Amino acid sequence: MNLKRVVAVAAASAVVLGATVAISTPSQAAVNYCKVTDLKTAGGMDALVKAAKKEGALNVITLPRDWANYGEAMDLFSKAFGIKITDDNPDGSSAYEIQTIKTAPAAKQPDVVDIGVSALNGVIGAGQDKLFADYKVANFASIPSKWKDASGAWYGDYNGIIGISYDASVSPAPTKIADLTNPAYKGLVALTGDPTAGQEPFMSVYAASVANGGSVDNIQPGLDFFKKIKASGNFTSVKATGENYVAGAYKIALTWNFNAPGAIASAKAAGKNLKFVIPSDAVLAGTPYIQAINAKAPHCAAARLWEEFIYSANKGKFTADLKPADLKLSGSKLFNTIMGGQNVFVSGGATPILQDLLTKKKTLIDGPDGLNLPKGVKIQQPSPDQQVTGKALVAAQWPTL
Amino acid sequence: MTNQEVSSLNRKGASKWGTLTGRSARVAVALLPLLVFMGIFFFAPLTAVIWDSFQSNDGLFTLQNYADVFKEPIATAMRTSLGLALASAVVSAIPGAVLAFLIESRGSDRLRQLISSVAGVLANTGGVPLAFMFVAALGAAGSATGLFKLLGLDIYTAGFSLYTFWGLVLVYSYFQIPLMVIVFSPAIHGLRREWNEAAKTLGATGSQFWRHIGVPLLFPSFTSAFLLLFASAFSAYATARAMTNGTIALLPLMIGNLLDGNVIFDEVNLAKALAVAMVVVTLLAMVPYLIIQRRAERWQR
Repeated sequence: MNLKRVVAVAAASAVVLGATVAISTPSQAAVNYCKVTDLKTAGGMDALVKAAKKEGALNVITLPRDWANYGEAMDLFSKAFGIKITDDNPDGSSAYEIQTIKTAPAAKQPDVVDIGVSALNGVIGAGQDKLFADYKVANFASIPSKWKDASGAWYGDYNGIIGISYDASVSPAPTKIADLTNPAYKGLVALTGDPTAGQEPFMSVYAASVANGGSVDNIQPGLDFFKKIKASGNFTSVKATGENYVAGAYKIALTWNFNAPGAIASAKAAGKNLKFVIPSDAVLAGTPYIQAINAKAPHCAAARLWEEFIYSANKGKFTADLKPADLKLSGSKLFNTIMGGQNVFVSGGATPILQDLLTKKKTLIDGPDGLNLPKGVKIQQPSPDQQVTGKALVAAQWPTL
Repeated sequence: MTNQEVSSLNRKGASKWGTLTGRSARVAVALLPLLVFMGIFFFAPLTAVIWDSFQSNDGLFTLQNYADVFKEPIATAMRTSLGLALASAVVSAIPGAVLAFLIESRGSDRLRQLISSVAGVLANTGGVPLAFMFVAALGAAGSATGLFKLLGLDIYTAGFSLYTFWGLVLVYSYFQIPLMVIVFSPAIHGLRREWNEAAKTLGATGSQFWRHIGVPLLFPSFTSAFLLLFASAFSAYATARAMTNGTIALLPLMIGNLLDGNVIFDEVNLAKALAVAMVVVTLLAMVPYLIIQRRAERWQR
């Protein structure tokens, strides 16, 4: 191609482009979904669904199916929009998510992440917020300002409450954290991991602190509590996992309430009767997990549709209730027919970040039985700053507990 | 020296030089893939880890990460890791050596082959599956624990626990003893029957043979195998992680938590300093290993 022709072609396309912009509505223009910052610039829900369906795939990362009912969320999204979801390393950590964004080849990049607050602070602290793309979901205004980035780079999605899961054979049944000192529980009490490595066990230590005269400002009584039940032989350092539970390695564990429904179902399948109770002496809420769209997302439209789905406050159909006729609906109608992501979290026992909005719109569904909060108890939630102090103490003392 | 001899010498010299260049070129070509592989997967990451270990979070040069290695709780982790490696090596090396001797000296060829295959499999069993096997067998509600109970022995009331320092030593022995059998058997195999016969012919008793010939000959191999076991236990990670939830301070677990945790995110470079400290300890264990191994090879040829 000689230079003259290049110039001519460029001039011609500029004219055509200018004409297109001038005469078309936004939904007809070629939208670059990687630059789209809200539903309006995406050309509306119909256009977004169409573009996402065309991409046909979504890469998610470290989403366990049992966790806050993410399994249902993925199935529903996948079936409704015909988008294949690839979940990389379901049991991986937040650090793995960040590391993958930084180092993985383009095709293996996740589209969206769900990370802990500590990981987010690590990213922001290192000045790497540009890892995430700005996108404001339709319900952005209803997310509490404390838990979102003003320009939409990240936002909280759901959180959980620490409770006690226990085998039905345990006698007496525990109702509060202080009960875990009972000599009848010798060798039966476990945590889901190392509190210097996992949010769930870390928050369990906070819960133990609140139950033993400490507070979200002071995690020390929690460490002292575990020291005590380790010395008495009640605490076993085996990791609380489904396999270890079925093998009888422990019978009582502190876990997120939103992991209880999945754990109870798995236990039932293995012939075990697992129960769950929110302790009456500590109602410890974790900080919300954080959603963000990867700036290098390979499926930009699907990533944005996923976030719209996760923050949808709709009450609708789960995967099992979707009929073939539903799937023929237009994008926006279909979106309004399916259960919103916020309610999917509710079905998993988690507290959705848009709970107030769901209550106001009267779309909040009933959560699983037995995960209800005891009446008249104050919910305590350690702030990210309080967690910085807390984790320093845990890191110093846990290895020599 | 005859002319013939001189010319033959010259020829030898010349041809030797010629073959050597040809050979070394061929060797270099043959080694190239290995060197590239080692460069990408060993030297490059090692260099990066060492470089990062001298960096602060702001990217400035610092020795603080190394100063922290000697502070609590890392100092305790270093001591516990060294203690665990040493205890595991002692507990596994001796039965492993005895087993290797019995198999090599008494076993049939078929038994030897069988044991070496089995040992190869067991020595590579590790990680979370190994932890789970022991939890299912010797945990508080394990099947073996239940069997002991039926026989009237409640091992947990008697003070045993799988989730302790010595519990880990026991679990590690599952892969350490077979590893010892694998690395120590060739040394016993190389102990020639003729030497024993020669000693007996000269009037030595069995114990004299072992005291003056057998043990001194086997000692270098035993020591080197021991050091290998030490390094293997020192670096074991996933099994300990699944069984202790961090309540026993161990260096590999701390590195894992700092690099891949959900709680601490700003001490990645400290983790790299810990990794370098582990490399140094392993090197210190490997240097005598190599020296002793060279000595052992002298008579194995």
